[in-house]
Amino acid sequence: MHLPDGFLSPQLTLPAFAVAAPLCAWAARRRFGPSGAEALPVLGTLTALAFVIQTIVIPVPGGTSTHLVGVTLLALLYDPLTAFVCEALVLVLQAVFFGAGGVTVLGVNALALGLLGPLCGWLVFKLIRPLGERVAAFLAAWVAMQASTAAVVGVLWLQRLLDPAYFPMEPAVMAAGMLLPSLTVAGLLEGGYTLLALSLLRKANLRGLDRPTA
Amino acid sequence: MASTDPRREPVSLPARTGEAGAPAERRLLLLGLVALFALSALTDPRWLGLAWAAALLLFRRGAARSLARLLGTVVPVSLGLSLASAGFTALVAGQPVAWRALGALNLRTTLLGFLTFSVLARVNLMRAVAPWPTAARLLAIALGQVHALRLLVTDSALGLRSRMVRRPGAVDVVRGAGAVTGTLFALSARNARDVADALRARGA
Repeated sequence: MHLPDGFLSPQLTLPAFAVAAPLCAWAARRRFGPSGAEALPVLGTLTALAFVIQTIVIPVPGGTSTHLVGVTLLALLYDPLTAFVCEALVLVLQAVFFGAGGVTVLGVNALALGLLGPLCGWLVFKLIRPLGERVAAFLAAWVAMQASTAAVVGVLWLQRLLDPAYFPMEPAVMAAGMLLPSLTVAGLLEGGYTLLALSLLRKANLRGLDRPTA
Repeated sequence: MASTDPRREPVSLPARTGEAGAPAERRLLLLGLVALFALSALTDPRWLGLAWAAALLLFRRGAARSLARLLGTVVPVSLGLSLASAGFTALVAGQPVAWRALGALNLRTTLLGFLTFSVLARVNLMRAVAPWPTAARLLAIALGQVHALRLLVTDSALGLRSRMVRRPGAVDVVRGAGAVTGTLFALSARNARDVADALRARGA
């Protein structure tokens, strides 16, 4: 779902970078604290956890595959800022060490996948939780996936408005190509995973890593 | 979301820090970053073609490997979307296809991918970030933990496959992933405590 390099012009990637980088630094300091010995292990391990969850490849009908995102689970277990910092670092690792995604689009991807999606999911969870935690967890992950995908589609649409020659793809094709798999397959799988993982973690009374207080 | 996922490649842990050649690597990394942003603004296929030729000339050593990675990651996404868009424009909308712009888009995405792979192949990132100890520590911890946690996920996937007669489907994998997440969290918590203790013992 995340954008590769070359789909967006510097008109969009540079402002996104300028917003995402200080926001990520602020969130990291606020959520993980200034002490290196306390903060770095937790931040590093949670990032690795998010990264590893995303390496779980799920076969889907049609011979292709998708992968889990897992960032909503972090937002529900901790908070959206923690999820944002971890997902931003995951995107950096993917782009810099593994060549997945892109370097110039890091800011856009971090804001769409790391901040907007988990934030929407977290809000939905808080809103629906009184009706039942399992339903809320499933819907939160599904909504998070759709919000992130819609944001990516929106940015591409904005790029087409800014310069049709730069991004000549039909918006209908782009929206269908990204939103349909997200609505029908990836969102449901992510919802199912988040529901299962959260239930098991609650049952085992295992919240995960305690984060140091700032 | 293609089946060829570069994140499944083995993680190679970085070498020691503080070796000779680090300033040159930092310069190359910085130049690469500036070049990526600058080249991402190009829309003329002729300029993009020239830039491609220059990149191939500059990074000819290891070009085959970078091109192979490009074919597995960037090309399927970029070309697939371009062809779908062209098909829609011609067959459904009945309008002329902007082949020049689509060609430029594909040249740009592949050029940026090639440049990224080629620069990264020449830079030891741990050595490059050595002047920033916090970033270096964070990278070392995250990559080390990725290595440790991924062993567990791989073992879990192999276990799931060995327990089933047929190939695990989407529901089986999601159920397995949900189950292994608890163990991942427990292991992460233990590893984080161990790393924190080690850092404190070294006066960090």
